[in-house]
Amino acid sequence: MTLTQHVRNGWYLGAWSDEIGRTLKQRWITDLPVCFYRLPDQTVTAVEDRCPHRKYPLSLGHLDDDGTLQCDYHGYRFDGQGVCVGVAEQADKPKAALRRFPLVERDGAVWIWPGDPELADEGLLPDTSWLNDPNWTHVHGVVPLKARHLLLLENLLDLTHETFLHPTSIGNAAVAATPIDVTVDGDRVGFSRRMTGIEAPPFYEKSCGLTSPVDRWQDGDFYPPGIFVLNIRVAATGTEEPDGFHMKVLYGMTPGRGNETHDFYALGRDYLIDDQELTRFQHEQQLAVMQEDVDALEAQEIMYATDPGGTAESSIKSDLAALRGRRAVAKMLTREQQAGTARPRASA
Amino acid sequence: MTSPPTAAPDTHTLGSAEAGTPSAARRGTEFEGTATVVARQTVADGVVSLELAASCGEPLPPWRPGAHIDVVLPTGVIRQYSLCGPVKDTARWRVAVLREPDGRGGSQWIHDHLVEGGELRVRGPRNNFPLRPAARYLFVGGGIGITPLLPMIAEAEAAGAEWSLLYGGRTRASMAFLPELEGYGERVTVRPQDQYGLLDLTGHLGDPDRSALVYCCGPAGLIDAVEAHCAGWPTGALNVERFAAADVRQPAGDEAEQPIEVELRASGTTLTVPPGLSVLKAVEQAGVPVLSSCEEGICGSCETSVLEGEVDHRDSLLTDDERAANDTMLICVSRARGRRLVLDL
Repeated sequence: MTLTQHVRNGWYLGAWSDEIGRTLKQRWITDLPVCFYRLPDQTVTAVEDRCPHRKYPLSLGHLDDDGTLQCDYHGYRFDGQGVCVGVAEQADKPKAALRRFPLVERDGAVWIWPGDPELADEGLLPDTSWLNDPNWTHVHGVVPLKARHLLLLENLLDLTHETFLHPTSIGNAAVAATPIDVTVDGDRVGFSRRMTGIEAPPFYEKSCGLTSPVDRWQDGDFYPPGIFVLNIRVAATGTEEPDGFHMKVLYGMTPGRGNETHDFYALGRDYLIDDQELTRFQHEQQLAVMQEDVDALEAQEIMYATDPGGTAESSIKSDLAALRGRRAVAKMLTREQQAGTARPRASA
Repeated sequence: MTSPPTAAPDTHTLGSAEAGTPSAARRGTEFEGTATVVARQTVADGVVSLELAASCGEPLPPWRPGAHIDVVLPTGVIRQYSLCGPVKDTARWRVAVLREPDGRGGSQWIHDHLVEGGELRVRGPRNNFPLRPAARYLFVGGGIGITPLLPMIAEAEAAGAEWSLLYGGRTRASMAFLPELEGYGERVTVRPQDQYGLLDLTGHLGDPDRSALVYCCGPAGLIDAVEAHCAGWPTGALNVERFAAADVRQPAGDEAEQPIEVELRASGTTLTVPPGLSVLKAVEQAGVPVLSSCEEGICGSCETSVLEGEVDHRDSLLTDDERAANDTMLICVSRARGRRLVLDL
């Protein structure tokens, strides 16, 4: 696995809505510095975080009440469309404009398309209505990860690792012992694992008050290049749908700068939604599990980074979804490169 | 629900059991170390049974029906074998090994070189094929696939469950453990193919039955047939275990038995690839460098562009659309539908 370039013609989770306000927020996305902020009408905007004058980060500048963004190095000022409306030193307006990124704010998430704006298609976004559904509750956040995006992608597409990496929370022998069905629909890669009559992993035992044996289902969907949604269903063995406990996990796997990744997460459930204690427990568990992943992926990143094109990888059947995920991303990158749109357009 | 041997470790995870290390290590309830062959017996044509004991003399960890162990051969090859002796025996593990002339040499090494008193590195047990409680069991075994079923049958019998076994093989002489099974009387139906033809799955399995679980192990074709029969059964009723070697897609018809001509256009070479030799091996033997890794049609390292000819895809990685496009193939396992392929190598 050598792919360290980033697909840009695709949606990435850029920020949670509650992260963006009237202060300027910098976040690197696919090696592009991005400055997020809200205009007076509350719409979110994101521009390349480099002043076209001398590249100073605009996120170190400030935002006026009328939505004007000012660079705090030499005073370039930009309106809500990113067009330069003036500079302190002279009366004439310099010809300059900021590159603005297509955004969609929906269900508390801000999605960003770092590539060719003409290709940005909202229809490619997954259904996130559960983040905003009164019958569901969820927790969310973002965890920094010093490992390339593809390692996170493969982590999520091969949950067999739960058995070994998360044995005290969500993993047990049944996960690795149960093979997955893999489906590919266009660029999308899905997998499904049905564990029946298994021992309840500790997290679900506590989260759902279940005792063994249980049935546990995992249905994961990877929307390349950077979105993963896992549908979880846990129930006493033999319980038919739609009964049982449902949870969803959304991961935004957003490449940052170099081989760093923003690991966005949202964990939702459709039961005991007012139980604050349960929410706190689940959030702690989610972060603990993610920390186990982060530790593993960062250790793995060092091994890949120091072994460029070196030793061959061994693969097994349970890698199938992850290998297809890799191929999906590699194909997107090839398409971009062939179309000549891999590089961002120069600022106007 | 199929159960390919996905939990099998690769060689890296066995680092703590280096050759020559006499001690045994335990990780959780697993044994990892050297085992001595305390008994070896030919139990059918091409099948030997081995009884293994920990070389250090310690008891072996407990296991449940359906469990397998990993055997690490001196050649570095790792093979999984189902435990088929009594579950209660913590002094010895029994496995049975079929000589597979077309395999990668693991079983042949065992047949030709491993004698009583010999040592092997083993690890396990692990269970990808657990027996779940049920009132009624329908067992279907094909050839060496009988091995995981033996302890299952013993457990079903001890539990007082209703059970029956349909056991097929090429010939009666090739079918292992018949004397053991005959002790169960009418519950066991032995059907060698040279006398009875294909197994009567319809007669054995009958209609879907909510109280019954089906356990099947054997060659891919048999498992595919049982899966087809059980398509309408409740989810989870069918439990199968496939062998790694049999898991690669089987040849389509007789075409695979023919030699194929493979032109390597960029190299200006044309090869004849005989049956039994992979396109990858033929290309390597011709001195044309090509990346490869798993040689099982999984990892995609050997993916090669196809310029002409129709591919007989036998990999696990490509999607249906990618296969239909016929412009790429994994040359470690896939072959040609016709007699000729032109590759961009």
